[in-house]
Amino acid sequence: MEENELIEKAKAGDRHALAVLVKNYAQTVFNFAFKICRNRDKAEHTMQETFLSVIKHIDQFDSKSKLSTWLYTIVSNHCLMMARSAKKDMFASIDDEEALIDESSITDWSVSPEKVTENNELKEMLDDAIQKLPADYRIVFLLRDVEGLSTEETGKITNLTVPAVKSRLHRARAFLRNEINKVMQDGK
Amino acid sequence: MENNVTCKEVMNHICDNLGEELNSPRCIAIKEHLNSCPNCQSYFKNVEVTIDFYKKYNVTLPDEAHNRLVDYLGLKE
Repeated sequence: MEENELIEKAKAGDRHALAVLVKNYAQTVFNFAFKICRNRDKAEHTMQETFLSVIKHIDQFDSKSKLSTWLYTIVSNHCLMMARSAKKDMFASIDDEEALIDESSITDWSVSPEKVTENNELKEMLDDAIQKLPADYRIVFLLRDVEGLSTEETGKITNLTVPAVKSRLHRARAFLRNEINKVMQDGK
Repeated sequence: MENNVTCKEVMNHICDNLGEELNSPRCIAIKEHLNSCPNCQSYFKNVEVTIDFYKKYNVTLPDEAHNRLVDYLGLKE
């Protein structure tokens, strides 16, 4: 059955259609929630709340939009809400865009991205680095660079203007590169 | 065409426009600098690998978590 047909049936109260939609998107939602939270329990909680919200509001969903975009929006909002209760001093200050470019420490990294699946030390390093980023920067980086959405789609999901998305993306890329570079340099 | 771009400018440009094909005279000068500067090439590679690290770091939804989700939503068939 086509996705649009499933959505229309779900809107009409068809529980089976809803169950199929949940099954089709559970992995994507869990993975994206984990990428923001870096914690499996929080990712599972976010996934549950996201689909609960979908069920409650499916009748308001505009069938011309992409369901995945709506799901990304709900996950992002839920994670932003959770992050607001976290202490602000947990996050790095990345206000000065110019200062983020570190010309002095250029290193060739020897670790291949393919190793991520099997290297727990590398995973820990990536978790540590991204968790220092404020949540709104993290979400922009993940939507744009990791999930491959356009700048415009990312802006729509995060409720940011295109220049604001670009600025956050620039800072997030530079910040994460610097954090990983510090670890790579120490490891040499 | 102005060619005297600095490494910092190139690195800023990489963080700004990675993956976008830009053809302004300034962008062409930046690409020329990038082609001849090992430091900027390493920086470019670093940023690309950073993104790739996060792209490849995925988690699988365990069956138990999926079952808990279906229960939570009252969608057990």
